[in-house]
Amino acid sequence: MRQSFFDEEILDRQFIQLEKLEDRENPNFVEEVLTLYFRDSTTLLATIEREMENVPIDFPKVDRILHQLKGSSASIGANKVRNEITKTRELWQQGNREGAKATFQEARKEHDTLKAKLEPYFQQLRQAGPAETAMRPR
Amino acid sequence: MAPSENLAPAGRANTGNGGGAPNGVEKQQRCQFNEVVLRNRLTALLVDGNRFCRTIEQGLLRAYGVETLAVDNGRAAVELIASGVKFNLIVIDMLLPILNGLEATRQIRAMGVRCKMLGVTACSYEREREAFLAAGVDVFIEKPLSPEILVPILRELDGQ
Repeated sequence: MRQSFFDEEILDRQFIQLEKLEDRENPNFVEEVLTLYFRDSTTLLATIEREMENVPIDFPKVDRILHQLKGSSASIGANKVRNEITKTRELWQQGNREGAKATFQEARKEHDTLKAKLEPYFQQLRQAGPAETAMRPR
Repeated sequence: MAPSENLAPAGRANTGNGGGAPNGVEKQQRCQFNEVVLRNRLTALLVDGNRFCRTIEQGLLRAYGVETLAVDNGRAAVELIASGVKFNLIVIDMLLPILNGLEATRQIRAMGVRCKMLGVTACSYEREREAFLAAGVDVFIEKPLSPEILVPILRELDGQ
């Protein structure tokens, strides 16, 4: 399951770097970080969607939130999410609102796909226990 | 605003085996990560408004044994530096609340601070890169902050 994340380019090697930060003192570091990420990202995505429809639109505010989401997505290795957010931001900065909205929906899909794939993965790790985590290829 | 996290002891290493390594080995490995062993005590200030990014970047720095303090806005960073606290390394984001990263960097440099400053940000446009470098960061890094970028910098700071 894990390898498929990289084969499908849903995650990149930044995720592997996060895994390396796990040890006995922080055995669930990755899951904790991902939980924090999804908690933030879910809120940010909802805010962006709302702000994109606002009248009048606060362009700098949307840009700031896209920037924030790009940074956090890159920090966990969420490759496709980061790429779609980057495209959204570029279109937004060019003033192409409709293009940005469409690309943003792609970002949202990638985000939801990532979340749907990671949840069973971490469930599997929890069930397998520390030995399985220790044997995880680095 | 007070710093959001205190200086912590040198970070821990990843043994990767989950097994019962002796405490002595673990203690030595505490300063090792991806084949970097720091001979000196290095300190870093991390300035990022995003709690999530702070967690990851702080985890990475600590894994290399760098004692890290984190703040979540530019003004807190400037005030901390102005109070006399010294760091070997400052890692600062561009978009920050209260006082943005560009202005915070300028003010820090205006105080005569010459330590290594990394501008780490989600921005990737050339104009933003130029602005951050002009403000005074030594290196402009598009997030994420990765070992490939960090290791040579830590080695340089460590005098290796």
